[in-house]
Amino acid sequence: MTANTGKPARAIPGQPDMWVLVLFEALVFTAYFAVYLFHRSAHSELFLRSQARLDPRFGTLNTLLMLTSSLFMLRCVQASRAGAIRAAMTSALITGLLGTAFGVSKITEWIRLVHGGSGFTSNEFFEYYFFLTGIHFLHLLIGFVAIGVIACQLRRRERRSQEVVETCATYWHTVDLLWVLIFSLLTW
Amino acid sequence: MRSIAWHWRNNPKRELWLAWYATVVFYNIFFIVFFPVTHAQPPPHPGWSDAQVAYWFARSHGGLLAGFAIMFAIAGLTAPQNALIAYSMRRMSVSRAFAYSYLVMYSLSALPGMLLLCVVLSVGALRPGRDPAQLHWLYDFGFLSFTGTMGIFLIGSLVWMLAILLDKNRVMPKWFGYLNLCNALTEVVVAPAWIFRTGVLTWNGLISWWINIAVFGIYTGAFIMQLRNLILREDFGDGPLPSLAEATR
Repeated sequence: MTANTGKPARAIPGQPDMWVLVLFEALVFTAYFAVYLFHRSAHSELFLRSQARLDPRFGTLNTLLMLTSSLFMLRCVQASRAGAIRAAMTSALITGLLGTAFGVSKITEWIRLVHGGSGFTSNEFFEYYFFLTGIHFLHLLIGFVAIGVIACQLRRRERRSQEVVETCATYWHTVDLLWVLIFSLLTW
Repeated sequence: MRSIAWHWRNNPKRELWLAWYATVVFYNIFFIVFFPVTHAQPPPHPGWSDAQVAYWFARSHGGLLAGFAIMFAIAGLTAPQNALIAYSMRRMSVSRAFAYSYLVMYSLSALPGMLLLCVVLSVGALRPGRDPAQLHWLYDFGFLSFTGTMGIFLIGSLVWMLAILLDKNRVMPKWFGYLNLCNALTEVVVAPAWIFRTGVLTWNGLISWWINIAVFGIYTGAFIMQLRNLILREDFGDGPLPSLAEATR
């Protein structure tokens, strides 16, 4: 039996089922990263030479956009919890705009790289680079659906499900976390 | 035996159990045929020369013919499996369109996703005297159609996911809906197999095949168990769940 300490019980944000996706995706990406690091250590000179062809400004900008979008997603959840629907909607909109800016920046970076002669098939580093950033981009697109679900929930007002809002927010934070890991691995 | 005979005559879930056992039998035979019998999985190297491919056909000749003969005989077992999954969606509080679209998509996807490989590799094995360049063409066609077209399963997985997440009857747990999304995302990863002949993204690559097959194995095990749970919980009742009816009252 648990003693009643008077503190409110700590609940998992959103549906606990969403954490299955978060953990499973973390496992899958850990496997991708392990394969990448193994090949990076085997061909470190090629990887370092290829990394130097990346424009660090894009990576830094994208990371800032992603982290800021996560901050606004957090504000959206907090506002929704407090019942401040208008503020929550504004934060969700800003999150979506920052995500869009990230997507545009990523596509621009891809185009510049390809025009500069560094395509998907150029060498082993760029094979990983385009694969990891591409699969992350796919996660980002699903993230836009999650923001759409949040917007629909917020519009429902009385029948709004805070659990669904937090579930979608959890997904967005996962996309952010994956980007930070990909950025760290591909840039350094 | 008497117990089986009794269930055969009286169990109202006998058709559902038949479909479920058909699924279990299919995947077991699928594994035996594709892995130890034909050696079609894990896939051989995509960068082989004509001579190496011709040697592979010659070495696997008996296994390819015997194994794929079994696959042609049991390929129909995918139908009850798809029907059972569609049935799970018909028990949900979502539109019938989900079940029907899934059924059509998965029925069609069995063609490039499994049968084409069986046909093409059988054609190669049945005419061992062919020009090695032609055998190589068949080899590429077979494995690219098998591995490279996994994307067609993507939309099917997303349809099932959406049905589970929208469902109010709690037919399947939500985590399984999200697992469908994980499976769908790994189906995309095999697409670069069309481009690469060496590396981790080839049709037998570490990422495109080995990690993918691990995810697919977990997903398949999970959906077979979830279908079993569905049948165990099936009460053939109609209308909204008592708890939902109470909530809307």
